[in-house]
This record gives sequence, C-alpha cells and structure tokens, in this order.
Amino acid sequence: MADALRRAGGPLTALAAALALSSLIMLAFHANPLQALAALFQGAFGSEQGVAETLVQTTALLFAGLGVAIAFRAGLLNIGAEGQLAAGGLCTAVAGASLHLNALFEVPLCLIAGAAGGAIWGGIAGFLRARFGASEVITTIMLNYVAFLGSSYLVSGPLRGDANAPETAPISASAVLPPLLADTRLTAALPVALALACALAWWLRRSVAGYELRAVGSAERAARYAGVDAGRVIVQAMALSGALAGLAGATEVLGLLHRFNAGLSPGYGFTSIAVALLGGSDPIGVIFSAFFFGALQNGALAMQALAGVPKDLVSVVEGLVILFMAARWFSKGRTCLRRPAVAADAP
Amino acid sequence: MMSPGILAAAVVKVLPKKATPLVFAALGGVLSENAGIVNIALEGIMAGGAFAAVATSYYTHSVALALASALVTGALLALVLAYFAIAQRADQIIVGMAINIFAIGGTAYLVSAVFGQPGASPQVAGLRDESALTWAAAAIVVALHVFLYRTRAGTHLRAVGEEPRAAATAGINVAAYRYGATMAGGALAALGGAYLSVGETDIYSDGMVAGRGFIALAAVIFGKWTPFGAAGACVFFAFFSGLQIVLQGANVPAQLLEMLPYLLTIVAIAGFIGRARPPASDGVVYEP
Repeated sequence: MADALRRAGGPLTALAAALALSSLIMLAFHANPLQALAALFQGAFGSEQGVAETLVQTTALLFAGLGVAIAFRAGLLNIGAEGQLAAGGLCTAVAGASLHLNALFEVPLCLIAGAAGGAIWGGIAGFLRARFGASEVITTIMLNYVAFLGSSYLVSGPLRGDANAPETAPISASAVLPPLLADTRLTAALPVALALACALAWWLRRSVAGYELRAVGSAERAARYAGVDAGRVIVQAMALSGALAGLAGATEVLGLLHRFNAGLSPGYGFTSIAVALLGGSDPIGVIFSAFFFGALQNGALAMQALAGVPKDLVSVVEGLVILFMAARWFSKGRTCLRRPAVAADAP
Repeated sequence: MMSPGILAAAVVKVLPKKATPLVFAALGGVLSENAGIVNIALEGIMAGGAFAAVATSYYTHSVALALASALVTGALLALVLAYFAIAQRADQIIVGMAINIFAIGGTAYLVSAVFGQPGASPQVAGLRDESALTWAAAAIVVALHVFLYRTRAGTHLRAVGEEPRAAATAGINVAAYRYGATMAGGALAALGGAYLSVGETDIYSDGMVAGRGFIALAAVIFGKWTPFGAAGACVFFAFFSGLQIVLQGANVPAQLLEMLPYLLTIVAIAGFIGRARPPASDGVVYEP
C-alpha cells in the first residue's frame, strides 16, 4: 500500500500542477476555476447517465492507453494509436457488416478483426524499426495519416455502404455489443477492457515474453547480449500495442456507432499518450488514469454549458500533464522510458 | 480532361500558396534538428503562430505586429521544448506531443475566450500580398544553407547536433546553441502558421493547420535534414496537394494523392531510397 502510494505520488503532483496552471489560465480570462471544476464534476458524476458516459470514454481510453503503455515498456513510443484505432475500427465494421453468425461467435470474431487490423498497422512500424532501424515515432505519425486518408477513401468509395454519408454499411444486429446498463451507451466493452488490463499486468510481470519486452525496454543492448531476439520483441510489442488500440476502435464500432465513419474517435489515440504516461505505463495505473481522463473529457461539456468555460481547456490540462510527467521534477530522476537514440540502433 | 500543359500551369499557380507554410515549418525543423533537438511540435507551433497573428491583428490592426507576435509565440513555445529537453533532459518526442496537444487545445480555448465564439475568429486585417512571405521563405532557404555550411557558427551548430560531447570539449556552448536553434526554428514554424492565417485567409479557425506541421516534419526527413532538401521536399509535397485541387471533379481520389507525402516518408526513413540519416545526436539527451 505504502509502495503504491509512493509510486502514485509523482503522477498526482504532476496532475495537481497541471490543474493549478489551468486554473490560472481560467482566472486570466475571468472564469471561476472552482465553478468550472464543480460543473465538470457535475457533468462527469452528477447523474447515472453522466457516470455511464464517463465510463464509455474511460473504456476507449483504457484500450488505447494500454496499447501506448505496452509500447513504452518496450522502449517504444507509439504515436500511432489514433491510426491503429481507425484501422481496427474499419476492419471490425467490415467484418460486422459481412458476417451473419450467432452473436456468441460474431462479437468475438469482430473484436479479433479489429485487433488484427490494429496489430497490422502497429506491426508495420515495429517491423520497419526492427528491420531497418526506422524511428517508430516518425513511421507511426506517418501511418496515422495514411490510415485517416486511406479509410476516408475506402468509405467514400469501395466500402461505402450508405448513399447519403461516407460510411460503411451498418453491422448486423448479432454483432452489436450488449449494453451493460439500460438506456445508456455503456457496453460490455468496459469489463473486457478491465480484464485485459489485469491480464496484461500479469503478463508483463510473470511471463517470459513480458519479461523480454521489459528487458528490451530498459536495456536493449544488454537484452541482445543475453540472447533476447530484440527485433522479434519490438515487432511483437508494436503489434500488441496496435491490437489494443484497434480494440478501442472495434468496441466503438460494435457498441456505439455500429458502422465506421470519420467520427469514430475524438482523438482517443492522442489522449491515450497522456493516459499511459500518467498511469506510469503500468496496466493497473492506466485503469486509473483512463478513468481520470474519461471523466475530464466527459465533464468538459458540462463545464462549457454550466460554467461557460470552453471545453478545449481539457486539452490544455492534458498537454500540461504530459509535459510535467516528462520532466524530472515528478519522476525523481527516473523517467518511465529510457529510449535508445532515434534510428541509431539498427542491428 | 485537361491537357497536361494546362494542368501543369494550374498546379504551378497554386504551388507557392501550398509550399510557403510548409517551407517555413520545415526550415524550423531543419534548424533545431541539426542542433540535436527533434521538434515534432511543429504542428502545434504553427497553430500558435497562426492564432497569435490573428489575435494581434484583431487588437492592433497592424500586420507587422501580427507577424512579430507570431515569431515571438513560436519562439516561446519552442522555448518550452528546449527547456524541458535540455534542462530537464526530458524525452523530446513526449515534450513535443505535449506542446502539440497544449497548443492546439489552447488556441481552440482562446478562440472561444477571446472572440466569444467557438471555432473561428472574425475576419481581421491581413497581408495585402502574401507573396512577400514566399520570397522571404525562399531567401531563408539560401540563408540557412549558407549559415549551416559556410559559417563558423553553423559548423558549431552541426557539431552540437552530431557530437555534443566533442563540441563541448572544443569549447562550444552546447546548451546555448540548442536553445538558440530550437527557438529560432519555432519562430520560423510559427511564421508558416501566420502565412495560413493573416496571409491566406485573414481568419484563424480550429484545425486550419490540418497536419501541415507533420508534413513539414516529413519534409525534413525526406530532405535529409538539409535546407535545400527539405524545401525541395515541401515543393514536391505541395505539388501533389495542388494537383489534388486542380483535379477536383476528375476521377482521381483526392485522399490517395494526399497520402503520398506520408507514404514516401515511410519509404525514405526505412532506407529504400538512399539512407535518410539524422544528425547523430538528434533527439538524444545530452548529459554534460
């Protein structure tokens, strides 16, 4: 317990500093930070509907945040969660519209399709890094745009399933994720994400593959000398990272949108970088930080409506959290990732 | 279908408009990366510069002050990157992402808070002839080349980006060069943003930078971290985005043309068309 508290100390201080600085910005524009915070809280937790919506956002951020965190632990910076999410969402939408099976098989198959789409998109970056030493930062950024533009092309052309809007055909009824709470958008995706977080925590700590991943992340050269096939681990880590982001897209499609279109994600993939950092790249920590950012994003609308503070302030808080987590003030000299030089470590 | 000649003429006409903001941002990236600081915050800094220019023009009606405020805003946002990267020894990519999220969210917040309407600013006084900025960008390409490869300070700067320890041993102030290059680079990128706002459209609207900062980053890599290379890549990328405007209505999917810069960059960085090698200490924390 004491250990957990000590580890949470850095993130909590970073968070407090980000909130304090954002309050100053609000004061500069004659807004009342306390009023804004109260409205945000009201929106995020004030009603059953509000709590459910907070958990909906938490779910997507948890999947994607786990993905970014796994890559971090392997010493890799996956900026491409947003693109992997889109790739996964599109694959799931296509599977959901074309398969017509029993829900017992169809839902898992559609989830697998989404994970596979994300895994391929992430795996490409992993392969280019392992084989050619290409910086995964650059390739994932570029692959994001390839995914956005490519999916936009596909849904306005070959995969278009609706005459009025650029989107895929709706998924079949048997592919829809069952709701968790009546009259809310909360689906069974949340328990799946939570179970996955626990499984990943165990996998990282107790399995050989998890150990190798952490070994490559903390000292790639040493891991190589110890006989770890670092290239394979890098490809695996990026594919797993992408698969998790792909699941975020898949569950959005199966639970909420029931089709793929450009409105799939309001930037979950980018927020997930903040989620992973604040969560200390630890799967269990990521659960808490995903919940925090889910509440923040969901409460932002109420903050705008009730307190007149533009909802975009939430992005300012997010940026500041990332910044402060990257600084050494709150991590006592040890950053959660110590990466080898960009592109300078090709085998 | 248009004849190739008319098509080419039409593309060349929109080329300066498309290329200028990219060139400014890419030169900013070339400058800081040659000193060893990776700036993936170009996108956010462009947004910051575009907004600052419009807000200043809104209050002062002076285009000169608008451009100056863009430069200052860009330098200050880059100072955040430089401070965290150099003094805090933080990961430059993470700090860059933070600045992107902060600047893009912050400008959206400010549009609402300053102008009282979300989404876009009102029309403000803008440049009468933005081609002046295009000429300026071209001049800076040459100037930066001369600076980097023909002057003592430029050689020192590159030494700092390649081998900071050796440079420090030779008496070069590594931190000073890195701060200077990063801030000047930020100012340039912000000028690219200002071109989009007070140059082209005379408003600021959310999302107006639309990935140009990342295309500029791609151009830096594609141009192998040199001013002429990066500017050439920008013109090349701008050509395709111009082609896509000209071909509107024709049976060519715009998205596939737009995708090209990103795909080419992946190909370039994987080493398929000559090795794209960054300065040796680009993005590496320097511990004196």
